[in-house]
Amino acid sequence: MIAVENLTKKYAGVTAVDGLSFTVKRGEIVGFLGPNGAGKSTTMRILSAFMPATSGKATVAGYDVFTQSEEVRRRIGYMPENNPLYLEMRVSEYLNYRAALKGVPGSKRKTRTDEVLERCGLKDVSRRIVGQLSKGFRQRVGLADSLVHDPDLLILDEPTIGLDPNQIRQVRQLIKDLGKRHTILLSTHILPEVEMTCSRVMIINKGKVVASDTPENLTKLIEGGGTVRAEIRGDRAVIERELEALPGVKNVAIEAGSDGFVCATVFAPPRNDVRVHIYEKAAANHWTLRELSRVRQTLEDVFVSITRVEAPATKQEEEK
Amino acid sequence: MSKLCTLWQREIAAYFLSPIAYLVMVSFLVLNGVGFWMLVMAFDGRTNDVSVMQIFFGSFFYWIGMLMAVPVITMRLFAEEKRLGTIETLMTAPVSDVVVVWAKFLGAATFFALLWLPTLSYSWLLNQFAAAPTPIDWGPVIMAYIGTMLVGFFYVSLGLMASSLTQNQIIAAIVSFVLIAIMFFLGFMMNIGPAWLQSFFGYIGSIDHIRDFSRGQLDLRRVILYVSATVFVLFCTQKIVESRKWR
Repeated sequence: MIAVENLTKKYAGVTAVDGLSFTVKRGEIVGFLGPNGAGKSTTMRILSAFMPATSGKATVAGYDVFTQSEEVRRRIGYMPENNPLYLEMRVSEYLNYRAALKGVPGSKRKTRTDEVLERCGLKDVSRRIVGQLSKGFRQRVGLADSLVHDPDLLILDEPTIGLDPNQIRQVRQLIKDLGKRHTILLSTHILPEVEMTCSRVMIINKGKVVASDTPENLTKLIEGGGTVRAEIRGDRAVIERELEALPGVKNVAIEAGSDGFVCATVFAPPRNDVRVHIYEKAAANHWTLRELSRVRQTLEDVFVSITRVEAPATKQEEEK
Repeated sequence: MSKLCTLWQREIAAYFLSPIAYLVMVSFLVLNGVGFWMLVMAFDGRTNDVSVMQIFFGSFFYWIGMLMAVPVITMRLFAEEKRLGTIETLMTAPVSDVVVVWAKFLGAATFFALLWLPTLSYSWLLNQFAAAPTPIDWGPVIMAYIGTMLVGFFYVSLGLMASSLTQNQIIAAIVSFVLIAIMFFLGFMMNIGPAWLQSFFGYIGSIDHIRDFSRGQLDLRRVILYVSATVFVLFCTQKIVESRKWR
């Protein structure tokens, strides 16, 4: 559906996207992650044919984004960052206008707008003025707009930004439903969202793809994948010494727990299960073991570990 | 073509969905109404060899209206879209830049024409209530309106271009006012500088053109000047809008 090769975009002196290459297959929901200024919005703007790249090639559904931009625009539904809308129009009026602009024939326009109103839960507010709606509803109007011409591909730039947890949940569910019929490329800062909605995650930093996989695989990938947490009753110093001596253990962090237990976090490389060793050690030393669990790595940890390396440099630049 | 129509409708609707349209219309009506009334009072009871309508087109109030109304109705065209970010949703819809520019121009031009609609009643009023009813000579009146539209549409295109340069509506209004004022004041410079410059100013200054139109002259050179100048400015606007692609 999307094929991007060596895409580069330079703004006056600044390289926003640097030799980006990736593909998105039909039917995928791909989450686009990255710190602020990583080049997410720029990439999305290029893909939606709003502006061209400095160099490189991008195709959507087989059409070149630069030379066949109208064909591309016919096939995508793009929701820009901050979801710009004409605030003085009524919801149904706006959607009807957008449908006409996107080439939905007059005879089908009514059914199409009704359909997206229904799907985005806007039926009750269809006569309201966009400017008077809450942010959650406006966000849905933006989504409805991107859907109104039934595009193959949806490009959503931070669709849940600024929403409250309930609204995020609703929009997320909506995106999930949409994923059944459309290919979706979405960018976000909210990592649990990606874990819940996306079939693939692409992390970009400094204009380059630094990781691309399913959320599950990504969390396995990073250091700390073998971290285990244990609560043991016994002498703190002894426990620390004994645990550190276990095979495969790199490091142990101990803190005092309640009821005479201590809380030990045992760091080990991924795919190196130290739980059995801990249990055996506890049994041999007659320690009471009340919890032994693997620390599940979240996408947040992946994100931080992948993009952190660059952080000091960015900070210096900001200070300049 | 249907997309041009869709966008054109949206532009006109946008005027009437904001208070600006009503504000401009009322001010314009008051201004021209006062101007017309003063002319009628001044001419009352005298015999003249020029008609009131002929003086009306080209009068002080007429030009104030022209110079002030156009920047106000054109300032939002592109600047507002840029400010709101809706330029992105607009330009990522399957429409070409040319169509967007022309639709915005036609929308503003239509609104400009609507501003003049009530003034049609002035000629009718004169015809009805003048003490010695002399039939109005409709030819010069029609020509004056045609001239007003030609000059006005050219000014609208200048305003549209100014609006495409910035995302600040105030700046857009000031720039378009300056551009329009230059076109207007060139007419006053006909006595300055070398002869060739004087005649050049004479050719492009708007004041004389309106005066000639309101006398009933259809000078094809002027029609061609304004139509081609308008098309040229719209072409420049299109290039400015496209410039986001190569900047």
